[in-house]
Amino acid sequence: MNPLKITTRDAATGPVLEITGALDHHTAPHLRAHVTATALDAGRRLVLDLKGVTFCDSSGISALIAARHHAHTAHADIALAAVPANMLRILRIVGLDQIFPLHPDTATATRPGPASP
Amino acid sequence: MDRTDRQPDPHDPRDPRDRRGAGGQSPDAAFAALLEDSAEELYENAPCGYLSTLMDGTVAKINTTLLGWLGLTREAVVGRMRFTDLLTTGGKLYHETHFAPLLRMRGEISGIALELARADGGRIPVLVSSVVKHGSTGEPLLIRTTVFDARDRRAYEEELLRGRRAAEAARRQAEAARRQAEAARRQAEADRARLQETLAVLQQSLLPDTLPEVPGLQTAAYYHTASPDHLTGDFYDVFPLDGTRFAFFLGDVCGKGPQAAAVTSLTRYTLRAAALHDPDPVAALTTLNQVLHERYTAGGDPRYCTTVFGTLDPDPATGGSTVHLASGGHPPALVLRADGTAHFLPTPGGLLVGVLPQATFTTATTTLAPGDTLLLYTDGLTEARTGPDRTHLFGDQALLAFAARHAGRPPHTLIHALTGLLAGFGDGLDDDTALLALGVPAPDSPTRSTR
Repeated sequence: MNPLKITTRDAATGPVLEITGALDHHTAPHLRAHVTATALDAGRRLVLDLKGVTFCDSSGISALIAARHHAHTAHADIALAAVPANMLRILRIVGLDQIFPLHPDTATATRPGPASP
Repeated sequence: MDRTDRQPDPHDPRDPRDRRGAGGQSPDAAFAALLEDSAEELYENAPCGYLSTLMDGTVAKINTTLLGWLGLTREAVVGRMRFTDLLTTGGKLYHETHFAPLLRMRGEISGIALELARADGGRIPVLVSSVVKHGSTGEPLLIRTTVFDARDRRAYEEELLRGRRAAEAARRQAEAARRQAEAARRQAEADRARLQETLAVLQQSLLPDTLPEVPGLQTAAYYHTASPDHLTGDFYDVFPLDGTRFAFFLGDVCGKGPQAAAVTSLTRYTLRAAALHDPDPVAALTTLNQVLHERYTAGGDPRYCTTVFGTLDPDPATGGSTVHLASGGHPPALVLRADGTAHFLPTPGGLLVGVLPQATFTTATTTLAPGDTLLLYTDGLTEARTGPDRTHLFGDQALLAFAARHAGRPPHTLIHALTGLLAGFGDGLDDDTALLALGVPAPDSPTRSTR
């Protein structure tokens, strides 16, 4: 079992969640709960740093969409940073690469300005 | 034998050295003197009670051991009390009715259980043996009685009895527990049977029992379930649109369990209804997207699915069939050609169904000529973990290569081969997997559907 580790820090643009481990049926609810509990002001940007994600199934995808929903409800942005190749492949299949701004790393994701690169 | 070498045996009483220091007495007497001071001493302090009574029961002689047990003095007993005075009421009764008559009749009696009444009110269970001493002319003179302390034995018997009662109680408890467990097991079995019946009915709402006969086309499908309750999260269907055209779809609901199965059911019937209204693939997926988004995402419980939806339009002139399909977030379909080649039918950019209120879906078109087959699958197949340590994914390219090796074969042969492939993944296949193959028969091949 690969437990999910989530650490939160604040960047100039807003909160950055660094996610490490497998995003699956068991761990995805943990990410959902963590994101929901993350305070987000209007106009800020929630960045999910996925560099450490080793696996992502449909439950993980659902958690990402829930995060997007959470950000948009708060009138904030969302961006994904450092998406691993295998996860990027899945995001492309399900078309999510079109609705999530993607950044090569957290540094670019937290650069002030519009979320889309 | 030469006895000079023999070592003296220290335990052998015949050893001459043991006789030294015995003061010239005979050896047996010396031993007796060591062990007992006198016969009187033996009588008084023997480990059992001794008692002599006259024929009317009056105690004539009693030893110290028995007086000690009774807590009485010799003066209080001898000549003043009868044997029955030493017994409990129950003992007295038994003595009068059984003990004394038997003794008179037989002259002796042994091992009778009685209870002594102690001066302090306590009782001592004892075993009593008596014998009548007769005079030279045969007349009875007195009764000699020995009394053995049976407290230990009684305690032992009580212990045995208690043990037996405890064992009996434990056995009754175990029996009751067994009956309870048996009743619970029967109840559980009944519940399980009822649940399975329910699940079977629900399951039929998720997947078609059989695929319909499609004129001019062969169909085959397979479903692998990873869920112990057999509630499926993947789905497929084939159904007629009008007199000539057919529609088909295959998809995968995000998530697992009964909630996912509920989405599966909603998805299947929404697509069937939508297609009857407007069979255009993008229109059908758009309707499904609106329904799922309105039903789940807007309600705060977002649920999505990936789906390929398509129509089959047979061309009687060529014997082939035109396929129009659209994909919402689903892996690309595969086309296996009669000439032994295979390629993906890319549908990039189609969005997961149900995520956004308005979504875009990507379309693709192809024509199936005789001997061609369209294969739809869910990602359980491509995401199966392979390799000795289950860390590699089977992947698109391996699937493409596998398909190319089976290109030109009819759908049921292809599905059969894929079923074998899935079985070979073993525990590397941890997700539901649906397969649907639609093929135009090669010339001289009969139309046939299997599932």
